Amino acid sequence: MTATGATSATHEVFGGQSGGGAPRPKGGAPRPKGFFTDTTVCIGCKACEVACKEWNQLPDDGFSFTGMSYDNTVDLGASTWRHVSFIERPVPLSGQVAGQGSFSWLLMSDVCKHCQRAGCLENCPTGAIVRTEFDSVYVQPDVCNGCGYCIVGCPFGVIDRREEDGRAWKCTLCYDRLKDDMEPACAKACPTDSIQFGDLDELKVLAGGRLQTLRERGVSEAYLYGVDEASQPGTEGLNAFFLLVDRPEVYNLPPDPVAPAKRNGSGWASMAAAVVAMAAAAIGAVVAGRNGSR
Amino acid sequence: MSAEDVATSGGGHRPTEGDGRNVDPRVGILEGEAADQTAPARRSEAEGAAPFEVWRMVPSGDGDRRTDPTYYDRPAIKEPVWIWSVPAYFYVGGAAGAANVLGAVAQLVDREGMDGLVRRCRWIGAVGGGLGTAFLVIDLGRPERFLNMLRVFRPTSPLSLGSWVLAAATPAASGAAALSGAGGALRALADAAGLGAGLVGLPLSGYTAVLLSSTAVPIWQETRRTLPMLFVASAMSSAASLLELTGLNRREEEVVHRFGLAGKIAGMAAMVAVEKEASRVDRVGRPLREGVSGALWRSAKVLAGASLGLSLWPGRSRARTVARAVLGTAGAIAVRFAVMRAGKASAQDPRATFHMQRAGRGGREVTGRPATAGPPGSA
Ligand code: SF4
Repeated sequence: MTATGATSATHEVFGGQSGGGAPRPKGGAPRPKGFFTDTTVCIGCKACEVACKEWNQLPDDGFSFTGMSYDNTVDLGASTWRHVSFIERPVPLSGQVAGQGSFSWLLMSDVCKHCQRAGCLENCPTGAIVRTEFDSVYVQPDVCNGCGYCIVGCPFGVIDRREEDGRAWKCTLCYDRLKDDMEPACAKACPTDSIQFGDLDELKVLAGGRLQTLRERGVSEAYLYGVDEASQPGTEGLNAFFLLVDRPEVYNLPPDPVAPAKRNGSGWASMAAAVVAMAAAAIGAVVAGRNGSR
Repeated sequence: MSAEDVATSGGGHRPTEGDGRNVDPRVGILEGEAADQTAPARRSEAEGAAPFEVWRMVPSGDGDRRTDPTYYDRPAIKEPVWIWSVPAYFYVGGAAGAANVLGAVAQLVDREGMDGLVRRCRWIGAVGGGLGTAFLVIDLGRPERFLNMLRVFRPTSPLSLGSWVLAAATPAASGAAALSGAGGALRALADAAGLGAGLVGLPLSGYTAVLLSSTAVPIWQETRRTLPMLFVASAMSSAASLLELTGLNRREEEVVHRFGLAGKIAGMAAMVAVEKEASRVDRVGRPLREGVSGALWRSAKVLAGASLGLSLWPGRSRARTVARAVLGTAGAIAVRFAVMRAGKASAQDPRATFHMQRAGRGGREVTGRPATAGPPGSA
């Protein structure tokens, strides 16, 4: 199934608006690509995690149980580029009939957001992190020297350094597959099309349609997280955006993230003032010392 | 078996040795995007294989979990991976920067009368820069690729700018130091290098604070106005303390004393200001009050305060000069380590990130526009 095929299948199942289906322009530059992750249809099968590991040939990062959750993956990291969160809530989801008591599951497949203003990329001092022709954010493993500055630059806690390896790693949006006109492994493997891949503008239309459908069905909590600049000014929008039904914190997502470089102007200004004061102090000290000697 | 037993038994399953991929080389080719990612030889001791703390709570559950939710209290951002050598670099790099500045000023104002001070400043700039570079290189995951730092020039990255500054300041200070005693044309060259070192010494003494605040770590991000002042002031007292330990003549000692005193007073004020700025959101300022970082922060205050007190003590005594220099050095080192530890603690606390952003100090603070952060009508 191609990317386009994935989106049209979704239309049939969920009755979304039509918008996909346009063939990829031959020749010219590819259009920006991304993920629309619709968390309301995720069943927590972790097929995306497995497909990602397999396709990218990522090593395992240990096997252990967290004890109280189906989430034994814990978080995204250097060797984990898709992570399914399992949220058990003692509250119902509107429009849903619970079997027993009030309870609902929220499941979300998390991934690198391929931010429009990417903190990791803007912090990278080596040029290892680049924006590709697909508008995704890619770390070149042959350039990265493992300085660790992207790790603190990411407002989502996505990218990490594999200590044994020494370099920073994260989701590549399956750069290798994209170059061969294939959709990323996770989207391909997702059995419910919770993960949808495609042209960003088409995904946005699709997500808008899905949101409307859900609201019509009474799921009044549904909203889109990071779909565009207006919904998340700090990152200017995410190429991998989400449909959520609870506050972002519940999914371990920041409510109002900001690309660090967007706000370091005041830091530079403050440093400039401080060093001018230091120079003045040095001049004062030296001049006073000279005068005192006479 | 309780949940705790399960958690601490390491999952029961001991993975076999290998590269963690289970790809049979006879049938599979390793050429995926992460095919050359190194995995540890002993899988059972792999990162992440250690048993986690047992997760006890239900996310988004009842009580305050409804109003102040987290995902099982897991960190929302990644912890800085930097080791001890990074705060150590902050200290030596800062001292080198401030020494370069003082040396250049002394050279401009009174080259002959303060020759000893000028030389010592250059040497601190040279050794500090060289040692600092070594500290940065050993922190890299791939130290052999350290030159990649100079592969691009990226204005959005304080680390990129800082690498260029360090790469300019260290050779300049080293050249100036080495040629200090020369005469004629070489002396002119040394003086030019000394001035250049002084110029780049300005950003060198404080850019590391901007480097820290240009991150997603709540306490560093929140203190972006005061941290540069603290780092520059700390650089001044670091350089002055080192100079005081060398044998300066009386006039030079006076100069260094005044320079250091200014740095110490500014440093004490900046520490209070940093605390205030960090604590605008209670949760964000917490690492300065609690835990290892809080203890380091308090000892930095005590050490710097004691050094300041000795500096203000009237009269002269060599023993007191040495004491205040040692205390000043210890205080400057402690403050860098305190800030680093505070950042690590802050990154581990998801509520620091969430509360700060909910208080309007996330994207909204720069853009003036709120993000969509919850179901309609919730936020
Ligand atoms: S989510 Fe993090 S790692 Fe991914 S592009 Fe954004 S800043 Fe970079």
